[in-house]
Amino acid sequence: MCETCGCGKPDGFTIHDPKHFHEHEHTHENGHNHTHSHDHESAHDHEHPNEKVISLNIDILSQNNIIAGMNRRFFEGRKVLCLNMVSSPGSGKTTILESTISHLSPSRKLYVIEGDQQTLIDAKRIEKAGAPSLQINTGSGCHLDAHMIEAALTKMEIETNAILFIENVGNLVCPAMFDLGESKRVIVISVTEGEDKPLKYANMFESSHVCIINKSDLLPYVDFRTEEFIKNATLVNHHLEFMTVSAKTGEGMNKWYDWILRLSDQVSGH
Amino acid sequence: MHEFSLAGEVIKLARQEAEKNKALSVNEITIEVGNFSGIEADAFESALSLLSEGSILEKTHLNIVKIKGKGICSACDKDFEMNQRMGTCPICNSFPSEIKGGNEFRVVSLMIEEE
Repeated sequence: MCETCGCGKPDGFTIHDPKHFHEHEHTHENGHNHTHSHDHESAHDHEHPNEKVISLNIDILSQNNIIAGMNRRFFEGRKVLCLNMVSSPGSGKTTILESTISHLSPSRKLYVIEGDQQTLIDAKRIEKAGAPSLQINTGSGCHLDAHMIEAALTKMEIETNAILFIENVGNLVCPAMFDLGESKRVIVISVTEGEDKPLKYANMFESSHVCIINKSDLLPYVDFRTEEFIKNATLVNHHLEFMTVSAKTGEGMNKWYDWILRLSDQVSGH
Repeated sequence: MHEFSLAGEVIKLARQEAEKNKALSVNEITIEVGNFSGIEADAFESALSLLSEGSILEKTHLNIVKIKGKGICSACDKDFEMNQRMGTCPICNSFPSEIKGGNEFRVVSLMIEEE
């Protein structure tokens, strides 16, 4: 059984190449409307002469972290820059990627792994923008994990010195915990969200390296105070670097492109 | 929600260790959950009890130990209890400080029944 959601699929996620798309229907006839209760009435009220304590001290995320380490070695071996893009739903990650692809290709080889609960909408948008992409559908899952990326990498022919973007599931909570093997984690926030997001979702801001503040073209119409937001985010992570952009108008995007190119050059040793 | 996939990891881990040690049963499992681990201890407990049905952990007593966050001040180098990821040092009032504890999420031990 899938241990992410108990849906009965062996892995709980599916990978689609948007170029070879056909519909799959998955129904869960014995679906999710049952309850369990556990009463441990007899626990520890009788003798256990053969009891023994095994000391473990094992990190529960260690399995994910081992695979993330393998992914990271894969990227380093191929001199690939991998950026894990995280945000709430609707912050504009896909639009940022579309602009980035049209600006940076064909000078760089770009790839995108898309993570969503369902549909191929984003992968199709990325293909249209001009980069090969794979769509991971997590089903009921709320995040991508290192194992899903490992599985996707076996289906992609990634060239050396390339740049791989992973667009994570739109969610400011769960993806924070899962290292995918990325070189850097990029958090995207839009000015239509609250300035207090970093304080409310501290884990995600704490684990990111760069913060893109998107939709700057809407600043005149919303109450978002950029300085206040940066102050809050810095309280949670004083190493965070900020870029204010509008993926729609292109304002501020050059700083983002330069940052990617600089990092890609570092990774590929140029 | 991610508590479910992590509860699955715990069951896998317990099964491996129980097999390795030829355990008849696992009577207790002790898990540390840090304040900054990103794990909601109650949600994790529910997820584990739901998923453990039919598994090696079905009748196991779950012992969750919550670990408080700890920070160390970059200015005065003292450590202090931190309740949120943004602690200003309570001793010298400086900022920033680095997190030194509270990220734990690990299986500490299993109490097994031997043959």
